[in-house]
Amino acid sequence: MMAEKRVQCPQCKNIQAIPGASGEVIVVTCPVCGFQGKVVFPPLDQKTIPVIQLKQLTKAYGRFTAVDHLNLTVYKGETYGLLGPNGSGKTTTIKVLCGLLSPTAGQAMILGQRVPCKTLMQKIGYMPQETALYLDNTVHENLAFFAGIYSMTHDQFLSQEQTMLRFVDLERWRDALVSTLSGGMRHRLSLACALLHEPDVVFLDEPTVGVDPELRATFWGFFHALSAKGCTVVITTHYMDEADRCGRVGLLRNGRLIAEGSPQDLKLQTGTTSLEDAFMRLGGRKMV
Amino acid sequence: MRLQRTLAFSKRTLLQFRHDRRTLAFVLVMPLLMILIFGYTFGGDVKGVNVQLVNNDFGIQPGGTPGISFSQGIFLGDNISKHLDTETLDIHVSANASEARQLVHDGKAWAAVIFPANFSENFQWSLAYPESSIRPTVEVYLDGSNPTIAGAVLKAVSQAIQDTMNALAVTLNISQAHSPLAVSTVYAYGGGETRFIDYFAPGVISFAIMMVTTMITIILFVNERRNGTLQRLLASPATEAEIVVGYSLAFAVIGLLQSIVVLVAAMVLFNVSIVGNIFLALLVVMLLGFGHQGLGILLSAGAKNELQAVQFIPLILFPSILLAGLFWPIESIPSYLQPISYVIPLRYGIDAERSVMLRGWGLGEIWIDVAVLIAFAALTLTGSALLLKRKS
Repeated sequence: MMAEKRVQCPQCKNIQAIPGASGEVIVVTCPVCGFQGKVVFPPLDQKTIPVIQLKQLTKAYGRFTAVDHLNLTVYKGETYGLLGPNGSGKTTTIKVLCGLLSPTAGQAMILGQRVPCKTLMQKIGYMPQETALYLDNTVHENLAFFAGIYSMTHDQFLSQEQTMLRFVDLERWRDALVSTLSGGMRHRLSLACALLHEPDVVFLDEPTVGVDPELRATFWGFFHALSAKGCTVVITTHYMDEADRCGRVGLLRNGRLIAEGSPQDLKLQTGTTSLEDAFMRLGGRKMV
Repeated sequence: MRLQRTLAFSKRTLLQFRHDRRTLAFVLVMPLLMILIFGYTFGGDVKGVNVQLVNNDFGIQPGGTPGISFSQGIFLGDNISKHLDTETLDIHVSANASEARQLVHDGKAWAAVIFPANFSENFQWSLAYPESSIRPTVEVYLDGSNPTIAGAVLKAVSQAIQDTMNALAVTLNISQAHSPLAVSTVYAYGGGETRFIDYFAPGVISFAIMMVTTMITIILFVNERRNGTLQRLLASPATEAEIVVGYSLAFAVIGLLQSIVVLVAAMVLFNVSIVGNIFLALLVVMLLGFGHQGLGILLSAGAKNELQAVQFIPLILFPSILLAGLFWPIESIPSYLQPISYVIPLRYGIDAERSVMLRGWGLGEIWIDVAVLIAFAALTLTGSALLLKRKS
């Protein structure tokens, strides 16, 4: 399949269109400054059904524009990382997609429906940055509450509860009050609450902040398992090592998408070995 | 609006109360404590009020007198003094009227009851010549700074006069209707037995529901916002109306429990009688609760944390205590403050509760109060659903 990629020279910012076919890696020389880089055309796979589409999405708070004419497409079964420093518009983008904020201009579509849309939310899972649990209820009561919110039947809930509790390793804590759980356990429960109703699309807003490395690895195991089942996972993060585990990342800066592609792509394109260096080359600033 | 989602909110909230014992205690014990404290402080009759008694009445010696003859003579001052209720009044006999007045003036006594020298004489005169303007007059020099005590003194004095007259009417063989001293009191409601606690109990129920519902709602919703659960809910299929109604149902259950606790306490401990329909009384407090729940959600938007939420308490507490007719009738607050009471929803709740519980009124008589409460609830609940909906 032939495609065309618009790439920006990391050195002189000159933009040029490069034609190529899926699976090809083309070495490109910048016609202006002579910088040499590689352009990767990712191999074609099943992940070609668009699930999330942002078109010129803009969200402004007064004179401050948090998200600035953002165009972005996420495909089915992808693990997409929204990457960027604090204040780059990651969370705002997620909140618009979850219907928590109304866009100022442009539009956001999920599964072919324009957000905000209440009926669409049935198919969406959202894990906010905050733990977002009821501390004075037990683990079971929290899960049961969200099962009710997502109109699950009693049987559905019972089997899903068991699956999720095993998944996040909280089986023993089913009847414990959330206020007695450690931070890591709360994080896992929060994830379970977001995934309980088996959503098609999941938005995870910095799910691994304050999570120890071991648990973080467990989480990534979950995320990849989800995407293998065809669930589309969108994750915001500012950890570069995490971004490396995403299928594709979008680099945001000042509410604009400055680069997008698989981690290898971005590294190849910029001739760097780490994603962090790639991000710096692409015009970002230091993130952590 | 879906029932399953709505009930999910109610169920979770009620379960939360089951785990959070302290809040549950606050909900149930606070109104109980209130009615106990006020009941035992003001509930019984006023007792041991220091009263100076000055009896200068010469009386009438036995023998013939113009018009009517008193064979045994008559000493009205003595008679009335003997009938004074010594449980309510702590009577100190004083010889000098001006000294007695001075004691009241200095705050050492609540009242001076003074029978003038010509008291019995004037009584006899007025009996003989009913058209004349001369009347026997007992002076009650009263410290009116405490209306409850002042009322108790006046009640005791007029009761003593009435008792004396009743006795005299028999011995003198005169009909009570002709007695110039007779005090006639007719109670429209309460049969003369209404005590402060009777008046206070309907107010406590309304007040407790108002305070607890407002407070708990503010705190619950401040937490919803701060913990991020509200975000999660708004990103779910649940609608704002379901959130608001779901919480309302939970509060209806809690309010019902609360009302029952207070009602039972009032009935068992203080013999408060409920004349009217108890279900109507419960309906009124429910409506009051719904309105204040909406108010709580609206106020929660103005508070970032629990500390800020607590700052709303005096703002709601004081106008309600002072201006809504909880302790004093609205008529007794200064006229320029009275209009404010019209915008305090508690006023209508208390008014309706009192009418139902003391007067036995039905919906037909209290419909204005009920309509105001419904309007208040509709306004605040709709407002809070819209507020939750407001996104950025």
